[in-house]
Amino acid sequence: MSRIVRSLKSWEGFLLAVLVIIVIFNSSLAPEYLQINNWINLFQLSIEKIIVALIMAFIIINAEIDLSVASTMGLTAAVLAWMNHAGYPFGLALVVALGLGVLAGLFNGFWIAYVGLPSLVVTLATMIMYRGGARVFMEDKSFGDFPEWFNHLGQQAMIGPLPFALILFFLLAILAIIVLQYSGFGRYVYVIGNNQEVARYSGINVRRIKLILFTLSGAVAGLAGILFAARLGAVRGDTALGFELDIITMVLLGGVSIFGGSGTIYGVLLSILIVLNMRNGMSLLNLTGHLQTGVIGILLILSVLLPNLAQWLRNAWQRRRMAAPTGKPFVDSR
Amino acid sequence: MKSNMKPIMTLRHISKRFGATQALDDVSLDIYPGEVQALIGENGAGKSTLIKIMTGIYQPDGGEMRLDGRVIRVRNSQEAQGYGIAAIYQEPMVFPDLNVAENIFISHRNFGPIVRWKQMYRRAEAILGQLDVRLDVRQPARGLTLAAQQVVEIAKAISLDARVLIMDEPTASLSAHEVHQLFQLVDRLRNKGVAILFIGHRLEEVFEIADRITVLRDGKHIATHLSHEVTTEQVIREMVGREVHEFFSKTSAQWGEVALEVKGLSKEGVFADIHFEVRRGEVLGFAGLVGSRRTDVGLALFGIEPADRGRIILEGRELQIRSPKQALEAGIAYMSEDRRQLGLVLPMSIATNITLPTLKRYLNGLGLVRRQKEKSVAEKFRERLSIRAPSVETPVAQLSGGNQQKVMLAKWLNAGPKVLILDEPTRGIDVGAKAEVHQLVDELAEQGLAIIVISSDLPEVLSMSDRVLVMREGRQMGIFHRDQATQEIIMTAAMGQPQTVLEGDHE
Repeated sequence: MSRIVRSLKSWEGFLLAVLVIIVIFNSSLAPEYLQINNWINLFQLSIEKIIVALIMAFIIINAEIDLSVASTMGLTAAVLAWMNHAGYPFGLALVVALGLGVLAGLFNGFWIAYVGLPSLVVTLATMIMYRGGARVFMEDKSFGDFPEWFNHLGQQAMIGPLPFALILFFLLAILAIIVLQYSGFGRYVYVIGNNQEVARYSGINVRRIKLILFTLSGAVAGLAGILFAARLGAVRGDTALGFELDIITMVLLGGVSIFGGSGTIYGVLLSILIVLNMRNGMSLLNLTGHLQTGVIGILLILSVLLPNLAQWLRNAWQRRRMAAPTGKPFVDSR
Repeated sequence: MKSNMKPIMTLRHISKRFGATQALDDVSLDIYPGEVQALIGENGAGKSTLIKIMTGIYQPDGGEMRLDGRVIRVRNSQEAQGYGIAAIYQEPMVFPDLNVAENIFISHRNFGPIVRWKQMYRRAEAILGQLDVRLDVRQPARGLTLAAQQVVEIAKAISLDARVLIMDEPTASLSAHEVHQLFQLVDRLRNKGVAILFIGHRLEEVFEIADRITVLRDGKHIATHLSHEVTTEQVIREMVGREVHEFFSKTSAQWGEVALEVKGLSKEGVFADIHFEVRRGEVLGFAGLVGSRRTDVGLALFGIEPADRGRIILEGRELQIRSPKQALEAGIAYMSEDRRQLGLVLPMSIATNITLPTLKRYLNGLGLVRRQKEKSVAEKFRERLSIRAPSVETPVAQLSGGNQQKVMLAKWLNAGPKVLILDEPTRGIDVGAKAEVHQLVDELAEQGLAIIVISSDLPEVLSMSDRVLVMREGRQMGIFHRDQATQEIIMTAAMGQPQTVLEGDHE
């Protein structure tokens, strides 16, 4: 087990090394790359996804999955836009949209924690359901006309050069580190992810922890949907479609085990930086978006393959060593 | 007695290292046909590593294996099978949805693409007949007892013409009667000329079945004896490398007031009408064969599978226990028999495991874990229970079975319960650790804790308990005081034989 712990530690070290290489490579491509505005812009392009990635790390470490986050983002954005368009007060629309995100998560959590259905199936179903909801509100139209301050919030700097969503991301990241790595709640998340039955036999209320996690996931996704609406200034039925895969990719690349129980927010933050900078670098190289997505996919496979490959090489090396004379006296028994 | 025989398999200078641990160090072994050789040693002595090397799961770092005098290399379990080396484990690996015959022939590839059912059933019946076992070959493996599943595994090995049969603690989860049947089977295999390597923890069984006894300690081969030429004491000395008293003798603690009282506890289809009380300072043993539902009573008291009728009264206060959380808050702790699946989070540290049920005590006002406090408590238990580990930050998975067991004990002691239920507290741990656990339980009782010990190891229950409650198929057969309980009386009650000695305070 210590090998796993060590390789995890070194996994984060590995990610850091990869990140440094990408940064050096990118800055050699274009000097503007290192400018603060480019960095803010690179974060801004995926800001909603990386916010949701933080809570997704909790869910996957807990040995669950939430496929419905992108649909929840779409649903809250759609409800916000629709209510605004229909003339309801914008404040009310914001509250309803956020509340809907919480409810969407609570609904997932109920089936998973209290009925005991697998999260993969439940959130696959609600992924379709919530997306359907968004399309019902939007039909095939696009609604915008948000209040001026809301568009500003999404598109312009708030403190110094930093936009609101980016500040929020930093705050949430710090909060996620504290909660997951240092709090009692975080401890429970790891324990349940490792072995749910041991947790139950230790008097931990496993259901409650799961319900809280999925509700939080819905709430964060709802918030991200609203931020997305503010940044784009208009919402359609397919807003945020397919984001869940990018989000899960970032979390897994960060060293979080798909089987639960291990991984850290530090790793996820590093992998977020890697993905963002790689996309930026590929844009500098004029690679198309589709090609970029392909490269990210290869990266994910490598991230799963590399630790296994290292293990395989170690074993192969040991086998070769065994086949060679060992220096032990060779005694024939007969 | 068989000195003129040629060994079927020889191991020479086998070594294996895992990281810093030398699991096997220059071990040599001769395995003879028609003989049962027992392999014994404390946990971590290298028994498992050795059999994993023999069956191709691990590759040795050095040394060689010969079969019929020819050097062989076993790279995986298929190759082991090809050489006629088969292993049977404590937990049989049968496929529950396949029937007995399918399980027996699961690894046969010479049946062609189409299953010839009739032929398969006929051959399965023939093999079971050879073993003198009656078992319906068309019955699905699901629902077979553990003992029957082992028979299926043995039949599987026979069907593959196994010449070397490794049995890794096959008796650990069997009742006395089933052990007896298994030994008859082993006897028949021995007479057929199969070489058997038997790994066991219970010495009386080892002496009963083995012709030859090999002791490993710390990865080294210590000695090989003919079993009629050696005493239990000597073997134990060789295993632990120091003197221990095999049989632990209990100090009689002063009993205090009643800690836990259980009246008419029942659970539909599981157990019915359980009545008992445990006093402070008392150890109440729960005895019974496999399927006697002892563990289910423990699970009901701890709220994992709550009972549907009956009363649970703790220190005069009636409890409604619906969850482990409530049980813990009330002061009842239950240490599971299955430390790997239900007891410990293996990849996590000793400290994390110890504080798990009581984590709230280690949180500051912000809900953050106070690591220093957590560490110091874990450190205290490491010293008190002499848990052998480099530090309290060491992942539990790296510890030996006995030390894992102690971590689990520390976890529940730290919760400060009034009643502590220990389910198989010494299963699968070595003699030395066993003695330490017995000693500890004794001390805890002396300090006024009420303790329930559930155990299939009859001598253990008898030596540890003040009174023994015997169950059979969910029914309470009686409670016996220490001075009136003998193995025979308990066994008779557990097997449900009509008898006259059924006394005790069962109304």
